[in-house]
Amino acid sequence: MTVAELPPLGRFIHPALFYGTDEQYLDGLVPFITEGLERTQPVAVAVPGGRLRLLREALGDAAHEVTLIDMEVAGRNPGRIIPTVLRRFADRHDGVHVRIIGEPIWAGRSTTEYPACAQHEALINLAFAGRDVTIVCPYDTSTLGQRALADALATHPLVWEGSRREDSDRYDPRGVIDHYNQPLPVVADAAEVEVGSSADVRTARTFATTHAHRLGLPAGRMADLQLITGELVANSLRHGGGSCRLRLWRDQDHLVCTVEDEGHLTDPLAGRRPPVPQQFGGRGLLLINQLADLVRIHTTRHGTTVHALLALSS
Amino acid sequence: MCWRFEEAHEFRAHAREFLSDGLARGHQVRYIAPGDVTALAGDLRGIDRIDEALDTGAAQIVSLDDQYAVEAAIDPAAQVRSYAEATRTALAAGYTGLRVAADCTPLVRTAEQLDAFARYEHLVDHYMTTSPFSAMCGYAASAVDEETFAQVACMHPNTNSPLPGFRLYADHGGTALGGETDFVTGELFSKALDRAAPRPRDGQLVLEAGGLEFLDHNSLLRLAGYAADRDAVLVLRTSWPGAARLVDLLDLVDVRVEAAA
Repeated sequence: MTVAELPPLGRFIHPALFYGTDEQYLDGLVPFITEGLERTQPVAVAVPGGRLRLLREALGDAAHEVTLIDMEVAGRNPGRIIPTVLRRFADRHDGVHVRIIGEPIWAGRSTTEYPACAQHEALINLAFAGRDVTIVCPYDTSTLGQRALADALATHPLVWEGSRREDSDRYDPRGVIDHYNQPLPVVADAAEVEVGSSADVRTARTFATTHAHRLGLPAGRMADLQLITGELVANSLRHGGGSCRLRLWRDQDHLVCTVEDEGHLTDPLAGRRPPVPQQFGGRGLLLINQLADLVRIHTTRHGTTVHALLALSS
Repeated sequence: MCWRFEEAHEFRAHAREFLSDGLARGHQVRYIAPGDVTALAGDLRGIDRIDEALDTGAAQIVSLDDQYAVEAAIDPAAQVRSYAEATRTALAAGYTGLRVAADCTPLVRTAEQLDAFARYEHLVDHYMTTSPFSAMCGYAASAVDEETFAQVACMHPNTNSPLPGFRLYADHGGTALGGETDFVTGELFSKALDRAAPRPRDGQLVLEAGGLEFLDHNSLLRLAGYAADRDAVLVLRTSWPGAARLVDLLDLVDVRVEAAA
């Protein structure tokens, strides 16, 4: 996945806010929220549950005027944050300046999740270029590693820290998107099947559910897996060279469902745009993002691999 | 029942079994196939007391060669009326109903014939759910390709073939959806929906989908669009959890998922 040209950000404001304590968190964000409310601007806060409680308490009654979203749930899969959290809110308030606090990266994110989180942060710049929106992304400098903090400087054109407001001299979202477009690991004992044509599609879904059951996927998530498999295979057969290889395995507490095909995903925002009303088709990757707990993609001119992960605990 | 057969003797054997069961139930039975009537009578050899049944009229043989002009499409509604009349006649004559086994191979040769016949299949299916009329349709694999067969098979509640994967059929005055529909069957599903033409009642288009095993998002959007075009709310009665999940994720406000009966 390569971004040929970075669109001008225009009125879009996208700072990374570095904080090390709860006090710094509140000092940085509460004024941002209250100032927005005073100007009758729509404000949404999408941060991890613990941070959400902290902000709610600090805001008092004003919290009722803010859309509060638990990012650990809504943004579990970073691939769905742009369409179902950020744009869903911003698009509802067209014509006015919108303020959003989005914290998709926290210390509990796994090493498997992190690259998708960093790519998501970089892609916000493409998704919101030119929009009359501010999205502030808090980064906890006391718990996050150097890599995450360095990436934040590349994925955000602005840095806010205390009273400091400055441009990031390391702003390079394209570099981050490319850097994390890496081959994805496959385990040796994965269950795998070739999907050679449309005649194999039903068999592929059955294959997936049979192995998912064996690997411990809760019954309540089986329909999610059926839908994910169906969309992954449909995408490969339609756009990925007409065939694909479907694999399933267990990676600690996740079921991993992957397809590998010969297509090249050239649109970096594929699966991250909300559908327009009456849209028919083109929703497959968006649905996969909504259904899965994590989606990782590696794509080159020689082929594409998509990994969709589902948590094994219900 | 929609039966795809490789060899003619397979169809004959199933027809004999189906009609023999009909006679045992006190139905009048009818065997319809292409060919000479005398030769067709030979197909029924093996049914207990078939000669007596043919003599009394309890069993009838109709050659398709006589009944249909070559390559003419049937009139779906007229055809159903004709079977309804024949069923009434059978009941008036003291039979408990009418049962037909037909080799329909010659009736789906052209695109026009196929379209009319698929529409007829659904109409007659509705008639069968409320009347003592039953039928078995056979299609020779040698003359009816898989795509053509799928178009008629999907209008039946039962088939001996894995094609096409989903079933859109009449169910006690309503319409039922079963099996699996996905991007592979998308076009066929649209065609089947158009041919079945389920009608909303009191602002609701109800699909009894107790046998639904998979529905992809495009098929759901097709159904939702079909209902919306008729100013109706789509009600899907299914126990497949994916349906409610999709409705939620696609933000479909005019679609309701209810538990299957």
